[in-house]
Amino acid sequence: MNEDLINLKNQTIAQIGDVKSLDDLEQIRIDLFGRSGKVTKATHNLKNTDPEKRRQTGILINEIKNTLENQIAEKKNSLKVTIREWFDPTIPIRLPKIGHLHPTSIVISEMVEIFKNLGFSITEGPEIESDKYNFELLNLPKDHPARSLQDVLYIDEPEILLRSHTSSVETRMIEKLKLPFRVIVAGKCYRFENVNASNNAMFYQFQGVALQKGLSLADLKGTLFYFVKSYFGEDRKIRFRCKYYPEVEPGVGLDLDCTFCNQKGCSVCKGRGWLEMIGAGMIHSNILKNFGYKSSEISGFAFGMGLDRIVMDRFKINDIRSLYNGDIKNI
Amino acid sequence: MKIPINWLEEFVEIPSDLKKLTHDLTMVGHMLDKIEEKNGETILDLELRGNRADCYSILGIAREVSAIYGNRVKTLQTVLLTKVKKLKNISLNVKTPFVKRVGMVEVKDVKIMKSPKWLSDKLTNYGMESINNIVDLTNYVMIETGEPIHAFDLDKVGDNIEIRLARDGEKITTFTDGQIKLTHEDLVWASGPEGLRPGGQVLSIAGAVGEKYNSISDSTKNILIEAANYNRANIRRMIYRHKLLTEAGIRHEKNLDPNIVDLAISRFLYLIKKYNWGKFNPEVYDYYPSRVSPCKINLTYNYLKTLGGVDIKFSEIKNILSKLQFEVVKKDKEELTVLIPTYRTDVILTEDLIEEIIRIYGYDNIPTKTLALEIPKNVTLNYILQEEKFRNSSEALGFDEVISLSFIKKEYLDKNIPVDKGNLKVVSIQNPPSPDTRYLRATLFPNLLDSTLKIINDRGEVAQLFEIGKIYLKNGNRYIEKRKIGLISWNENKKNFSDFKSLVHALFAKMGIKSPEYLHEILNITLSDSYVLKFMGKEIGFGGKLNDIYYIEIDLDMLLGQEKKYNMSLWPKFPPQIEDLTFTIPAKTYIGNVMRVISELDSRISNLSLKDIFSDSYTFNLEYQDPDKTLTNDEVEKIRNKILSAVKSKFGASIKS
Repeated sequence: MNEDLINLKNQTIAQIGDVKSLDDLEQIRIDLFGRSGKVTKATHNLKNTDPEKRRQTGILINEIKNTLENQIAEKKNSLKVTIREWFDPTIPIRLPKIGHLHPTSIVISEMVEIFKNLGFSITEGPEIESDKYNFELLNLPKDHPARSLQDVLYIDEPEILLRSHTSSVETRMIEKLKLPFRVIVAGKCYRFENVNASNNAMFYQFQGVALQKGLSLADLKGTLFYFVKSYFGEDRKIRFRCKYYPEVEPGVGLDLDCTFCNQKGCSVCKGRGWLEMIGAGMIHSNILKNFGYKSSEISGFAFGMGLDRIVMDRFKINDIRSLYNGDIKNI
Repeated sequence: MKIPINWLEEFVEIPSDLKKLTHDLTMVGHMLDKIEEKNGETILDLELRGNRADCYSILGIAREVSAIYGNRVKTLQTVLLTKVKKLKNISLNVKTPFVKRVGMVEVKDVKIMKSPKWLSDKLTNYGMESINNIVDLTNYVMIETGEPIHAFDLDKVGDNIEIRLARDGEKITTFTDGQIKLTHEDLVWASGPEGLRPGGQVLSIAGAVGEKYNSISDSTKNILIEAANYNRANIRRMIYRHKLLTEAGIRHEKNLDPNIVDLAISRFLYLIKKYNWGKFNPEVYDYYPSRVSPCKINLTYNYLKTLGGVDIKFSEIKNILSKLQFEVVKKDKEELTVLIPTYRTDVILTEDLIEEIIRIYGYDNIPTKTLALEIPKNVTLNYILQEEKFRNSSEALGFDEVISLSFIKKEYLDKNIPVDKGNLKVVSIQNPPSPDTRYLRATLFPNLLDSTLKIINDRGEVAQLFEIGKIYLKNGNRYIEKRKIGLISWNENKKNFSDFKSLVHALFAKMGIKSPEYLHEILNITLSDSYVLKFMGKEIGFGGKLNDIYYIEIDLDMLLGQEKKYNMSLWPKFPPQIEDLTFTIPAKTYIGNVMRVISELDSRISNLSLKDIFSDSYTFNLEYQDPDKTLTNDEVEKIRNKILSAVKSKFGASIKS
């Protein structure tokens, strides 16, 4: 008899779990506790039981009664809530105000992350610069032909200007830091430009400088390849070629395959199939000399790239002006 | 440099695959800009290299082709020149040290005519206009050799000419009818003060452009041909001053080899003779006070290896040098001495020579090594980490980042006012490309306001922006850059100051910096409800509002290093005692100050907040807590009494029972 009772309890609990309506639940209750319900009957039958087992069975019946009554009550509540209060999880919401970083900031932190892995520190320098740090100490003496490539914005001609490249930070760092060092700088630069969709008087450059005994062109190549493959993808084609910059010797130009046309030639790559990406080289011995270093004892490399183009490609922005005039709509 | 393929082939054999040629030229330093087809001819446009004056010529590029493939450059046909002390009809007086070399010859009975087709085609394909056979021939030889040549009408220039600095205000009408007013820094050819044509009239601007009357015309019979070499920097300043970026000018502003002067003249005479366009004695007047000889460079193999990162066998080095026409004059186990031809004015230092060897060896053959050296010390600047943290915290609080130009647009100039104390001025640009780039920003406010107004005009619902960047100021002769963060907020459903202030406080909390004090103050900038921010007794910023737009600007340098190192604490083990106190406070009392005074009274006041305001009654909620024990009623009463007497004496406030 006790076994039957335990089975009844377990079966009923399962039934209660499956019930979908209040009517069905009421039916279960009547089947158990109604005038001829199973539990009611079992209580009636108690008096016919062996007095020795009566007490034990009585306790069991009570326990079953309590458990099932509770279960029914709980189920009743949950059915009531579901039925009475309509719940719609598809309801539209209003987003709380979410902040966004500027695309240029995002690109800078991604790049910085890669160079941190290579032991580079992050630094900066003044934007209002002197001719000395922006040109003279960089092996760009007055009347150097390469100066005409950089029409400068002057604050107080000819000495005080807005830095025309982040290389000015290179000279500042060679002067300031103890060897060896590796630093990167990402910052604003300025040139005399008539503003249009692809030129702005202010732009961002990303520059790296390393000065350490034993650095070679092979280290520069390895560093740039590591960066380019990490940032732009393992499968990108790289052209590592000889190029002239007064600040370096030997000099390097690094180009990436144009993915806009698969190197067939398009307006983005000006029909070349390659995009000029990085200017680099071994720091010119004249620059080392300017700071009292001997090129036979120490060597270093420097590289620089324009950031705006990279940001524009990454975020599909066509007009350079929209980067810095508040036109960016955050979604 | 434009290189017509057919012309190049007259100098050197080239690969039949044009793609290979342009790729190889690109790799050694002459990037292909584009390929043009003109009148059925293929023209390579190679990027100009500022240090390779020799490559502004077909000959120069032919030498590069030869250095790559080892094909020999054909010798140009020339006439043999004899040097004379004085030309028959004319003498030259060089009056400045800016002239390094001049070669002059006279050519008689010239036939001036329209250029034959081969010559005019060559020039037009290169990109120069055909004028007449003689002028075209001077240009032709310039394109071939890189040395500009100029032809004067010998019968007009007189018998005595000089090269001198111009006088201020001296004028010249150029060959192309331009009027140029000269300065005392300009270098000119002029007729001498005495002789057949006295008066010192300017005949040409040296190395750039000829004067109209003295240039050759259809009626010219005899000509004076000159090729010269000047101080590069002087020519450069002059051509930029007068915007004379002529074909001759852009060559003379580079480091041209003085030794190509006679090559150009003898080549010119050879062609005159060949086409029978004039008669001459091959006599040249050569002014060449200090002769330039090939320089010697020492190169240790070890330095080549350590700088280049590549181990090149000696036989390979020798082969490369010979393809470059560099002569090895001495060699031993460790070192080479190399003689550099004078036309390679760019190869002066050992590193230049190393680049030469490596670029011909091939940049592709350099291995990639990744900094297998000691990792240098981390020298990342603290303020960069601070900016990064401010940037991320502002973003987390729902602000969008703006990066704006460092300039202030014309229409916002009235808002570009330095707010910081001191005699600070706005910095201006002397040569702005447009009126909108004339002034640098003295506050981040105008540009953030501009971005906010854009959002409002575009029917946005909320603008919550920040910018981290520099402002620029002038103090006397000193230029100052200060790092700032500006935060701006506007909401369609008008929010009040405390909504904005709570965001600012949240930013400070997130940064782990103590909240600043607010001091109501009227500023010189156009903001109402304005205030200055104080932190540890120093002014760190300001704020205020314009219509419904709230703005605050904070100096980042002032807050540098103020972040708490550990921005956390554990839940206290003993419960606080909590009570509400209601005070009657006189009108126009800054309630923040009242609260600051209360909270600084006793370290056991663990929490204080304003619960309610009803007319002049302020209800504060206070929590008293000791980290080490539960406070007794007596102890709390003592603290409460301290509060009551402090607010009474400082603010005249009384407790409401």
